[in-house]
Amino acid sequence: MSARAAQAFATASTAERRVIAVLGVVGLLLIIGLLAGGIGPAYLLYLLGLSGMYILLAIGLNVQWGYAGLINFSVAAFFGLGAYGTAMLTASNTPLGVSLSPLVGLVVGILLAAVVALLIAIPTLRLRADYLAIASLGLAEVIRIVIQNQRGLTNGNAGLRGLPLFYGEWPFIGGLVDRLPTVLIHEVTLGPVTLLGLRLGRSVWVGMFNLLIAISLIAVVYLVVRRLHRSPWGRLLRTIRADEDLARALGKRTYRRKMEAFVLGSVIMAIAGVYYAHLNLFVTPQNLAPINTFYVWVAVILGGAGSNRGAVFGGFMIIAIREGTRFLGDLLPATVTVGVDLIDTTYATVAANFAATRLLAVGLLIILVIRLRPEGLLPPEAELIWPAAQEDADA
Amino acid sequence: MTHAGPSRYDRRTVLQYAGLAGVVGLAGCTTEQSGGEDADAGDAGAEEPAPDVYRIGMVNSLTGSLADFGTYNERGVALALEDVNASGIGGVPLEIIVEDSESLPDAGVSAAQKLVNQDQVPLIIGAVGSGVSTSIYESVIRGTDVVQLSQNSTSASLTEYPGLLRMSPPGGPQVQVLADLIADDGVGSVAVAWVNNDFGQSQRDGFVDAWGGEVAYDSPHDQEQSSYASVVAEMANSGADAWVFLTYQEQTAAMLDDAYSNGYEAAFYGSDSAKGPSVLEGTPAGALEGMKTVEPSAAIDQANYQDFASRFESAYGEAPTSWSSFAYDCVITAALSIATADGFTGAALGGTVRDVTRSPGETVTTFSAAMDVISDGGDADAIDYDGVSGPIDFDANGDPVGSFQVFEVVDDAYVSRGTRTV
Amino acid sequence: MAVLEYLANGLVFSSIIVLASIGLSLVYSIARFANFAHGDTLTVGAYGAFVGFALIGDVGPTVLGLPGGFYIAVAVGAAVAAVVAVVTQRLVYDALEIGAIGLLITSIGVAFVYRALVILGFGTGSLRYAVPAQRPIPALVPIGVRITTQEVAIIVVATVLVIGLHLLLRFTLLGRMMRATADNADLAQVTGIRTAQITRWTWVIGAGLAGVGGVFLGLYNQVEPRMGFNILLVVFAAVILGGIGSVYGAMIGGFLIGMIDQLTPLLGDLGIPIGTEYSYAIAFVIMVLVLLVRPTGIAGGDPG
Repeated sequence: MSARAAQAFATASTAERRVIAVLGVVGLLLIIGLLAGGIGPAYLLYLLGLSGMYILLAIGLNVQWGYAGLINFSVAAFFGLGAYGTAMLTASNTPLGVSLSPLVGLVVGILLAAVVALLIAIPTLRLRADYLAIASLGLAEVIRIVIQNQRGLTNGNAGLRGLPLFYGEWPFIGGLVDRLPTVLIHEVTLGPVTLLGLRLGRSVWVGMFNLLIAISLIAVVYLVVRRLHRSPWGRLLRTIRADEDLARALGKRTYRRKMEAFVLGSVIMAIAGVYYAHLNLFVTPQNLAPINTFYVWVAVILGGAGSNRGAVFGGFMIIAIREGTRFLGDLLPATVTVGVDLIDTTYATVAANFAATRLLAVGLLIILVIRLRPEGLLPPEAELIWPAAQEDADA
Repeated sequence: MTHAGPSRYDRRTVLQYAGLAGVVGLAGCTTEQSGGEDADAGDAGAEEPAPDVYRIGMVNSLTGSLADFGTYNERGVALALEDVNASGIGGVPLEIIVEDSESLPDAGVSAAQKLVNQDQVPLIIGAVGSGVSTSIYESVIRGTDVVQLSQNSTSASLTEYPGLLRMSPPGGPQVQVLADLIADDGVGSVAVAWVNNDFGQSQRDGFVDAWGGEVAYDSPHDQEQSSYASVVAEMANSGADAWVFLTYQEQTAAMLDDAYSNGYEAAFYGSDSAKGPSVLEGTPAGALEGMKTVEPSAAIDQANYQDFASRFESAYGEAPTSWSSFAYDCVITAALSIATADGFTGAALGGTVRDVTRSPGETVTTFSAAMDVISDGGDADAIDYDGVSGPIDFDANGDPVGSFQVFEVVDDAYVSRGTRTV
Repeated sequence: MAVLEYLANGLVFSSIIVLASIGLSLVYSIARFANFAHGDTLTVGAYGAFVGFALIGDVGPTVLGLPGGFYIAVAVGAAVAAVVAVVTQRLVYDALEIGAIGLLITSIGVAFVYRALVILGFGTGSLRYAVPAQRPIPALVPIGVRITTQEVAIIVVATVLVIGLHLLLRFTLLGRMMRATADNADLAQVTGIRTAQITRWTWVIGAGLAGVGGVFLGLYNQVEPRMGFNILLVVFAAVILGGIGSVYGAMIGGFLIGMIDQLTPLLGDLGIPIGTEYSYAIAFVIMVLVLLVRPTGIAGGDPG
């Protein structure tokens, strides 16, 4: 295994090496932060779990945009359909009055997303790219408005709560998080530095199991998508994205293929929604707000559109940007006296209204990353080369 | 296949190191016998030295659709911190770490995650939106010992969570009083405009249940609509005698403004969220004349409220809203809970936070008076804090007791018309 | 009759949406991407006019219920929006050689920046223009039309601007150059048109119209930091419905969407149980239905 890893590293592009290096450094810092007691373990696990959700969403969007060139702005709607699909069947206060297993919820969420994806695709897939964007955004809003107002089915704004953990009913694992003891790791003082001093309680165990679920889901989805990418189907999709007329001239049924990509991507997004529902244990119609779609797009573009590794990286990035800017507020001093009145008062306003400044920071970061690295941080390079061609080159 | 040289990371070595780390790690671990989860980061000892600062958390709507409430809360909190830190809690200052919920459940949950799992606070004041508060409870607080005290959420759903305390009385009794008031005024049919979120939905459900007459119009509107003209047109065309506003000030002002410029007349009523300076300022003179609103009775006759109100006016140039008084009382209640608890942990605070607000105990109305009573060695039962927002007195569901006050707009100012109970 | 009243409301609301839609369509025809910061450009215009009116005050004769000073403030708001847009274009969009989707993502970032700056400068609360409040025009009330002279002013100014734009595009040199550049930028450049300058002018006009739309939205409803963002989706629907890249399509689309939104109460009156909370949903569904029949929108033709 390490031989393959070494080979992969040797053939990695500069972009990949840089990203791996950065990830390595960040990972190291996080571990140090954990050990030093600077980062709460449950919080870190929660953030990783959220990243996992974004990664799934980004992979799904990548199938639609990166592979098939479909500009889809209904991500939040499919995410919501997955979340509500499972929540309506498993929540404690569901108006449907049933209490089924999250696995059933997963299946229902997927089916719901597939059906709605077909319904949306039929009128919109023949449209030009930019029309598809806004049409899909509009239809996503229709879905959100329906979910919000059909209180007999969804409880409307009050939301569905009391969702069980995904593995809550599974044999052995199910009750494990409650039965595991709270582990205290005592503090260790090395000279001036105090390390550890951690308490690993139920929230940490839950976080770990959720993370395992996320990793499993991501692994399965990633492998399936990669397989498809290398199959004739994937090749055809790439041709359609590059030049649809050519593909049609070659006699390929482009509309069918695009439909398949759209449905597949939407199903992956619904899986992310199901995962989220059993992570957050609560769903509300606000989970379907368009801003969530925009965040997933930012993740895909900043990560490197068209590449799955980019999608994974983008998922981490968007969480880093959104949650990392929370901490900026703690780092900035409350006042700064430079002597120039305008600068001082501006700084005071910025520091005092930190939440608005955070919005500013997020906006500037997006612009900056696009400006400095327009193709995203991990654009598809090796992925664009047909694997067979690569083997021929090595031989 | 070629190697780049003998790899240092072959499987055996990795396993060796992992094993070593595991043994070292286990050596430094102990397990706790108790099953409960505590957000404390250190050893749980019987006697702890008091920390040099008490940190609690707050999830507030600093941005997003409920940002106005964020501002009201900030002001109430600022005044409360002045009072608490004038003497400290047993000399120890109180600090509040504030995170933004962006008025959305997702961001609110993130904020609470950071406060509970990263900053390790034992108590959080949060949140404004009812949907946000319940999300935080379900996702972060449930199953832990952390105390959650919502400053502004009024939806009925919070009553279903005994562990989720709130400072603002639930909307249910309030709309009941409102319905009674409207019936007493001889109105036969109403048009109900409610904001399409958890808060509005809950108020609407309570009102429609309590209302005995005809409901000619009953429709939600979004909080962020670009135009309320169709809402107003429908209300006017429904033929109702009275219009009931179960929505926020901004929306109420926009709709009443539109009603004025369309020349519509009706009797106007509203819940407390529809009352405030923004409504008066946002509507033309005389447009609201006669509008009646029901609001949880702030303790307006009490010296502590009058004191609070005048301090608020001199600091911010306008009268406080009830939301600011709720936020103020949240901080004072938290401080008193800390003062009477036998440890700065969620479990200890959970044991005192209700009792400091209800009987038995000597009735106190300010933080300093309460501290005087406790300093003689009192515990939570020794005091009964009646805040600037009312007597509080948390019940078994974590809801405060509310009595309600009716206000009427006379010459573009709110005039009290006395109190009512359910 | 209630229908007339809904129609009157629709006329006013459509005027605002038309102004915003034209601006969006103009930018799209030149810059080739969907500008998600367009909504916040309206917000910038509204706040610019707020400051302007505070400075200028209640001067000049009152025309259609609004003091002359307010009209000047409208121009100020439009100018502020135009300046901000041009600066953004130079600093941010111009330098980027990425595809439409990359620019779209960038414009999301730009939208955040505009909104954050507005909040930092003005706070989160809502504001109102200090113009006198009005009652509906008495002569029209008996026939069921309730509209104030200020609302008439909105319709009149919007109509004037739309006609002016039409004249500009059809009969002036600038207009011809704008249309040529929108049609085929490379060809236009070959014929000697300074496309960079024309692009600048298009941004100015597009953002300026949006700014005016923002001011009127603030007058009609209220001025608050999220006002532009909240109307953005509906403006996009209007532009799509009318056909991307076509200014005339945007006018038609804006008019239709505004009308549909304000006519939704009619459904309730006719006994159809779809409430006004579904008004945006209805607008979007209608947009999609139109696209089913005419995939490039009503007036959209070639990828212009």
